[in-house]
Amino acid sequence: MAANKPLFALVLTALVGVISCDYKPRNQGHSVYVKHCQSCHLENGEGLGALIPPVANADYVTNRSDELACLITHGISGNITVNGVAYEGEMPGNKLLTDVELTNLIHYILVDLNQQENPYVINDIKAQLANCDAK
Amino acid sequence: MQKNIWRPFKISALAALAIAAVSCKEETPKSLPLLGPYTVEDNIMNGMLVTDTVFTTIRPFSFYDQDSNEITHATIDGKVYVTDFFFTSCPTICPKMKQQLLRVNEEFKDNNELIILSHSIDPKRDSVARLHSYAEKLGINSSKWHLMTGERDSIYSMAKHYMIAAQEDKLAPGGYAHSGAFLLVDKNKQIRGIYDGTLPEEVDQMMEDIKWLLNNGGK
Repeated sequence: MAANKPLFALVLTALVGVISCDYKPRNQGHSVYVKHCQSCHLENGEGLGALIPPVANADYVTNRSDELACLITHGISGNITVNGVAYEGEMPGNKLLTDVELTNLIHYILVDLNQQENPYVINDIKAQLANCDAK
Repeated sequence: MQKNIWRPFKISALAALAIAAVSCKEETPKSLPLLGPYTVEDNIMNGMLVTDTVFTTIRPFSFYDQDSNEITHATIDGKVYVTDFFFTSCPTICPKMKQQLLRVNEEFKDNNELIILSHSIDPKRDSVARLHSYAEKLGINSSKWHLMTGERDSIYSMAKHYMIAAQEDKLAPGGYAHSGAFLLVDKNKQIRGIYDGTLPEEVDQMMEDIKWLLNNGGK
């Protein structure tokens, strides 16, 4: 029994570590989405009528997959068209997300919500952020 | 000895599961309660003392909807209605609440005894024109779902009357803090249900309760 205690403690710690950390990027991306995006874009990214555009299965998102970091950070204002529907208004930017959170969020949006490949790793996101046009 | 220790736990776990299975879903109500403040009145009838509990009736009000229609008791006479408080620039719970009310709007679209009254708690920015634009984008018909604006004090005192919390709060996102409650009011203008409009399962229950009310004369 005594010999097994350190092993048991190690296994327990590993289990706790695995369960408590979002070690899969997709899971953290989803958590970021729930916390920062879901109240407007809703659970499945479907948006609301012609008031709030969808972010799931959205041509605006897939057409601008290499700009998402800038759009999320600095926000969007004015008139846009998503899946043929016109939207006006403003999406507030979020400057508080870390590069890791932003990378994971974009992964979640592209892969889970838009069934796309996600080629962007954190260095791509950082490079994008360094070159956002001031809008 | 080892076996007997675990048996009661297994039995109660099974029992708990069974109870959960039957209780965690919406039910057709047998009747709906009357809710809200009430007074107790003593009356003499036929020489005998009769004590009655009298529940609050929604008091008269006057607001304007997205088509500039004046909304008063005349609008709700003979109707069962759902009411809530929101504002168009609300970034937190309102999209969810409106999504849920869209479900209610759709479910009862052919029954004109059920209408929806949404009050804006930001009447300064939510003008009739702004509400009109919002309603159009939401895709709703003002004969069924009234988005209302009006005198700020009247709206806030109405919220209090409906027991729904709403107030200006500079620290809250959007500048206002308000509850996501939906209230169900019957044809006697009495409150019959209070639900969390951000929870689809509570809205499911509200829709069951509305059907019961409509099938039972709305009262």
